[in-house]
Amino acid sequence: MLELRPILSALWRHKVSALLIALQLGLTLAVISNAAVIVQERIQQVTRPTGVAVADIVTAHIAPVAKDYDLLQAFRLDLAMIRALPEVVAATVSRAPLTGSGSSSGVQAEPNREVGATPAAIFMVDEHFIDALGMQLVAGRTFAAEEIGEASETTSWRSNTVIITQQLADKFFANTQALGKAIYFSGEDNPMEVVGIVARNLGPWPNSTRAGNAIFLPILMDTQKHDFIVRAAPGQRDGLVKLLEEKLAERDSERVITVKTLEEQKNRYYAGDNTLITMLSGVVGLLTFIVALGIIGLTVFWVAQRQKQIGVRRALGANRSTICRYFLLENLMIATTGISFGVAAAQIFNHFLVSAFNQPPLPPATVASCALALVLISLVAALIPSLRAANISPATVTRSL
Amino acid sequence: MLKMHKVRKSFRTDTIETHALRDFNLEVKEGEFIAVTGPSGSGKTTFLNIAGLLEAHSGGQYLLDGDDVSGLNDRQRSRLRNEKIGFIFQGFNLIPDLNLFDNIDVPLRYRGFKASERRRRIDKVLQQVGLAARAKYLPSQLSGGQQQRIAIARALAGEPRFLLADEPTGNLDSLMARQVMELLELVNDWGTTIVMVTHDPDLARRAERNIQIVDGQVADLEYHANPAALSA
Repeated sequence: MLELRPILSALWRHKVSALLIALQLGLTLAVISNAAVIVQERIQQVTRPTGVAVADIVTAHIAPVAKDYDLLQAFRLDLAMIRALPEVVAATVSRAPLTGSGSSSGVQAEPNREVGATPAAIFMVDEHFIDALGMQLVAGRTFAAEEIGEASETTSWRSNTVIITQQLADKFFANTQALGKAIYFSGEDNPMEVVGIVARNLGPWPNSTRAGNAIFLPILMDTQKHDFIVRAAPGQRDGLVKLLEEKLAERDSERVITVKTLEEQKNRYYAGDNTLITMLSGVVGLLTFIVALGIIGLTVFWVAQRQKQIGVRRALGANRSTICRYFLLENLMIATTGISFGVAAAQIFNHFLVSAFNQPPLPPATVASCALALVLISLVAALIPSLRAANISPATVTRSL
Repeated sequence: MLKMHKVRKSFRTDTIETHALRDFNLEVKEGEFIAVTGPSGSGKTTFLNIAGLLEAHSGGQYLLDGDDVSGLNDRQRSRLRNEKIGFIFQGFNLIPDLNLFDNIDVPLRYRGFKASERRRRIDKVLQQVGLAARAKYLPSQLSGGQQQRIAIARALAGEPRFLLADEPTGNLDSLMARQVMELLELVNDWGTTIVMVTHDPDLARRAERNIQIVDGQVADLEYHANPAALSA
């Protein structure tokens, strides 16, 4: 039979220590539920699909020493050499996504409009870019070789065709077919016909509001800002890093060559998020540990203080599980009180975080999960001293303590 | 009611084995009032603990109500304690956080009685010990004698057949002691078997039978033909 009322009476006579532990539990819930929602959001952000084959891609940057270096010619020769390697699935030259560095511009679905432009990342690519990035073409076609124009940073460059991401297509042409429609750079009237749609590409800045809005133009750009983007055959990526360095240096040793995996660059981009995830997870773990220690300490103290009383209860007919249940139930009542307070405190804290730091709102499911986890942790913490209490002999009652 | 045959109890440390009870034989009949005396360290408390199923004996046979209790597990021993045995301790052993009503309620809850039945029994025993008006008091608000009366009420509430009292008047002045003793005699008159451990020879003489334990064995048995006359 549950002893709710007697436990409440006993707790009332030790209300200060019980309330302090309940308060500690409540504050812990307020902090960890808000930390959990931030961690959850960051993890979702870091692990969401990028639309490109991050695990297989290697990028190579060449910085020539000579001033009159023919970069476009070097691109062509280097690409031909790279594509001939058996470890390579496809290669292109462009700016790598997910690196925090790239170009963007406002685009419109109508000509000569300047207001309300949609920011989008711009990638200048050749006909191999979809395979090289491992993207999925969901409609239309890729560029043909003869469509690829040439341009430099100092000359004007425009294109009549464009490939866009599904996200951008949905934004501009919600329920209609985007293929064959035109989009424009903001304030311009040069139509770019959508000839293909790729499933996804987060662009250079996955944490920005323009993430996922990307346009691909058939232009080979004469710029040192571009890298070779090389997709390795499965399992060949790490070997390809060294091989590319050697082969590019072999073809022309008068340049500085930097080869990296896209995964490294993505990790560097997300370094801040990963640090935050680690730190907040650590804080959550530490707080939970401290609260568990507090519960263990209080229960051990109460068991020691009530040894004689436990002996009396045993003598009066309580078996071991009755004693264990008594202490667990007592702990559960403290935890429930603390958690009721914590749910309210979590909402108040979250309201502050949302308004002051633009943090995500706290979903009820997260509070409920954290509350449940804390209840379970408090029960586990109380279990060991409760089992010790259950082992106190009923004969304690007749012996002096 | 209670029969011990060659009961042994020994405590062992790494180097020494101490025999607290040795070939201990005793039979207590239904409705008897027995006083157990003996010098300190003679085994009185060990006997009380074994008789009350508070600890297990090392050997021999102990029959409670005809049933051998040797092989019982913790749950079965706890149930027997709760249903058949009432305890009265020298230090009262009331739970200080609970009021008198809740103190008496403790063994009744373990028995699994419904709230209405528990209330009926608690009201009845509070009336019997004359403290019905103080049900909501805490133990610390009562005198020693009143606390011991509540402890007796707690022991009686489950209507046990067998009452074990460990120095029930040891912490009381003579007036309080006499009141408590009279209450125990009344309870015995209602048919409850009582075994009382005491140092006090005057109290022991008021029992129907007096046994003395020396070195873990029954040393002497003394019968009082008319205990009422002795108490007069």
